[in-house]
Amino acid sequence: MGIVIAVISGKGGVGKTTATANLGLGIALNGKKCVVVDFDIGQRNLDMILGLENRVVYDMVQVMEGEANLKQALIKSKVSPNLYFLAASQTKDKSVLDSKKVEKLISDLKEDFEFVILDSPAGIESGFEHTIEFADAAIIVVNPEVSSIRDADRAIGILDSKSAKVKKGEEVLKWLIINRIVADMVEGGEMLRSDDILEILNIKLIGKIPEDKGVIEASNQGKPIILDKKSIAGQAYARIAGRLCGKKIDMKNVEISDSGLFKKIVGIFK
Amino acid sequence: MQSNQYSVKVFETTIKDEEEFKKFFDTHYALFKDHLILIQGDMSDDIKKYLKSKKLYYLQNINLPKGRSRKALEKEFKRLEIESAITKQMAEAEIKKLSSRLQNNLTVLDSMIRSGREINIDGDLLLLNRVNSGATISTTGNLIITQVVEGAIRCNGSFMMLTASPKANIVFNGVEVDNSLLEDRLNRVELKNNEIIITPVLKKDINWAL
Repeated sequence: MGIVIAVISGKGGVGKTTATANLGLGIALNGKKCVVVDFDIGQRNLDMILGLENRVVYDMVQVMEGEANLKQALIKSKVSPNLYFLAASQTKDKSVLDSKKVEKLISDLKEDFEFVILDSPAGIESGFEHTIEFADAAIIVVNPEVSSIRDADRAIGILDSKSAKVKKGEEVLKWLIINRIVADMVEGGEMLRSDDILEILNIKLIGKIPEDKGVIEASNQGKPIILDKKSIAGQAYARIAGRLCGKKIDMKNVEISDSGLFKKIVGIFK
Repeated sequence: MQSNQYSVKVFETTIKDEEEFKKFFDTHYALFKDHLILIQGDMSDDIKKYLKSKKLYYLQNINLPKGRSRKALEKEFKRLEIESAITKQMAEAEIKKLSSRLQNNLTVLDSMIRSGREINIDGDLLLLNRVNSGATISTTGNLIITQVVEGAIRCNGSFMMLTASPKANIVFNGVEVDNSLLEDRLNRVELKNNEIIITPVLKKDINWAL
C-alpha cells in the first residue's frame, strides 16, 4: 500500500504543478515506484511540464467513468521507468468528480504504487476538496509573500476539516515547501523569512526552494528542473524528494546569498 | 539599522582642586590622551576649556555600564531568570484573577485559528493560541487571547486581554480599538464609564545602568 500525497497551495501560480512534477520524478529517481495524477480537471498542465503532452490518450475522468481501464490511461515516463503519469481531462470541468469514484481510483493507484502524488487545482472549490479528501499527507507550497501565506493557511484549515483521515480521528501529515526564495530580498528584509512563515502556518518544513530562472525554460521544454544537476532549484527538489523517501538530508539555508563575497571582490575592482 | 560596537577606556574622577587636576593631566597627558574623561560632580567652564584645548573628550555625571567579571555576569543571568519566572507567575496570576471574572459559559480553545475560520462564542472565551490573518473571533462575553492576533476580533464583553497585535482589527463593544496602544505584553482592555481603557499589565522598567 502506497502513500497518497496531495500537493496544495490555496493561491494559484506558486509552483504546485512544478513541485509535483519534480518531486514525482525525484522520488522515481530514488528507485521508488511513483505515479503523479493531475487533478486540475479542465486546466491540464502537468503533462506539458513532464514533457508527455503528446502521449495522452485516455484521461482520469475516462478511467473513473469506466470508458478506459487504468493500465491504458497510465503513461510511463521516458526519463525514469519508475514514474507514471495520469492526465486530467482538458474538456470536462471539476463538477464531474464524484467522491466515491475518486476514492476508488485512489485506492486502485495505492495498490500498484509506493507514492501517489496528486496535483491539486488552485483555490478551495470542489476540485481541491476531492484532491485532499483521500490523501494521507499534504505538501503545502507557498511563496514568501503574505497573500500566498494567508491562502495556504485557509487551505490547511479546510484540509483539517474535510480530510477523510481527520474524520476518522487520524491525522493528515502536513509538510511545507517555501518556493521561489530570493536570498538577497530575504537579507534585505523585503521578503518574508521562513521562520515567520513557519510561525504563522505552524506545520513541518520539508524544504526551501530558491528562485531559479531555469525553472521556466525547463517547464517549457518538458524537462523538469530536477534533471539539471547544476540548477539550485533542481538540487533543492532533489533534497526534498530524498527526504520524502526517508533519507536524512540536512536543511540547506537558501536564504543567504553565497554570491555575497564574490560580489564584494568584484566591487573592489570596479 | 547599521551600527558599530567598540570598547573605550574611561578615566573617571571627581574634581576637588582644579589646579591639581590640570597638573595631573599635564604630566600624564600621554597616558590618558585616548581615554574618555568622565567627571562626576561639578566642573567649571575653565576645566571644560582646558580639556578642549588638550583635545580630550569628556562626559559629566553619567552612569556608564561597567565591565563585569564572569561571576557577576552569571549572577546577573540568574537574577534575570528569577525575574522572568516571577513575571510569568504574575502573568498567570493575572489571567487567573481575570478568568475568575469569566463567568458566563467559559469556552477554552487551544487550537490555532486559521484563515477563513469564523468563531462565534455566546459567552466568554479563553484562547491559548494565535489567530491568523483572515480569521474572525466574536464573543458576546469577555475574551482573553494569550498570543498574537492577526485576524479580526469582535468582543462585546466588559473586558478583553490581548498582547501586542499590530495587524489585528479589533472592535470592542462596537468601537474600533487602536492597536498601537497595545504594548508588547498582556494588555487589559476595559469599558469604564463609556470609555475604553487600555492598561498594560506587568509593566516592568528595564534598568541598564547598574
